[in-house]
Amino acid sequence: MKIDRGQLTNQVSRLKAAGFDYLVKITAVDYVDHLEVLYFVRDIAASKDEILEVTVAPSDAWVPTIMDFHLSADWYERELAEMFGITVKGRATARLFLEKWDGADPPLRKSFVWDAQYRTRDVKK
Amino acid sequence: MSVTRINVGPIHPSTHGVIRLVVDVDGDTIVNVEPHAGFLHRGVEKLAETRMYMQIPPYTEKLDYVAPMSYDEAYVAAVEAAMGIEVNEKAKYVRTVLLELQRIASHLLGLGTLCNDIGQMFTVFMWTFKDRDIVLDLLQEATGSRMFYVNMRLGGMHAELPPDFAEHAYNTMNYIEKRVSQYETYVEKNTAFMERMRGIGVLSSEDAKALGVAGPVLRASGVNYDARKHSPYYMYDKFHFNPKVMLTGDNFARYKVRMLEMKESVRIVKAALKAMPEGSCLGMPVKLRSPNPVNRTVSVSRELPRGECMMYLVADPQKPYRLSIRSPNMVNLAAIGHIAKGARFADLFGILGTLDIIMGCVDR
Repeated sequence: MKIDRGQLTNQVSRLKAAGFDYLVKITAVDYVDHLEVLYFVRDIAASKDEILEVTVAPSDAWVPTIMDFHLSADWYERELAEMFGITVKGRATARLFLEKWDGADPPLRKSFVWDAQYRTRDVKK
Repeated sequence: MSVTRINVGPIHPSTHGVIRLVVDVDGDTIVNVEPHAGFLHRGVEKLAETRMYMQIPPYTEKLDYVAPMSYDEAYVAAVEAAMGIEVNEKAKYVRTVLLELQRIASHLLGLGTLCNDIGQMFTVFMWTFKDRDIVLDLLQEATGSRMFYVNMRLGGMHAELPPDFAEHAYNTMNYIEKRVSQYETYVEKNTAFMERMRGIGVLSSEDAKALGVAGPVLRASGVNYDARKHSPYYMYDKFHFNPKVMLTGDNFARYKVRMLEMKESVRIVKAALKAMPEGSCLGMPVKLRSPNPVNRTVSVSRELPRGECMMYLVADPQKPYRLSIRSPNMVNLAAIGHIAKGARFADLFGILGTLDIIMGCVDR
């Protein structure tokens, strides 16, 4: 289900009330001209999944937090911030999740080129 | 209240890999646990974007190095779904058998390390390690390797099972079934073990869902969800498979779910061996160029020994555009602060042992 980021918290809250109370994961995909943030929620009793897709512009990459509804969003949101450079608004600034990246682009953005980055680093050493 | 901060790790005999836990204690009661992950981060998701489809299984296998075949299969299943490739009938049985053998091997190691964690140093560990080796013998017969297999091919397997595999596997399963019952008797009659299991680290079913924990940890809290049952794949629905659920949500429940799962796995392996059809289970040979995907995005759920893994694949021709891996260990580790709060410091390692995390999978 494609939704606007302004509707995200409302939709998550509505789905949770409808039984989708288990967050499977949050992830994102960088399509270069836009970023897609995906929320997988599940109704365990009915064995049904729902996917919420939020599109954000790379220059204005932020989404609201959903930690008020799903505690398990914590680590995923930290991952979004660190790996995709997507700011998660409405929550405390999280400490570093996995890795420090020397001020380069967020690693899972397409602008972060794996080989070139490594070569540059080796040369600098 | 005076809070003392204790730093555990990054390298510690009881931390199941490279992980740092910052533990705040009041006396010996845990006030807060903050796990620091990332020491084993290898960028597998990014790396996958730079490799051809069938060059990736060796990377995904190393995420969970105690159950590599399960990850291998989850990835290959996602690629098959993207390319619209149907797995051949015999390979479905073979995969079911091998995945359940992998689950038994993984749970046996989990039991051994759990006993180490709570201070019963190496007695149970040596027994379970020996039995795990017997299961690995079977996997070696089937795949040629003991640790990293890379034996899944698109649509099937890389080789046929040896002719005497079924008989050997059947005998081994009889032996493992007997041994699992023995382990249950040994450890559950041991007061020292039970004192550190019953009523420790309780996670209610509401909290388990809110924290998004997965696999045996979720089922131990009374939530009946198992991807093998609820989104069945291969032959699981054929063998009337039932998820093992406990209600108490404590250390004991998490241990017991794994023991019951091993017995269920033995039953599934035997049934699959009995019903295995004739014919070939070979898949497509590995070539650098793969068929072009017919589906742009797919998400595939698989029940790994440690919980549900979801592979979300955005498929480009020849290479993944994006591979996102939902790690069951990551969600289980993230819950430790909640589970351990109020427990005694010495019980932290018992709780960590029953969560049975693998750091390679957390960090990816």
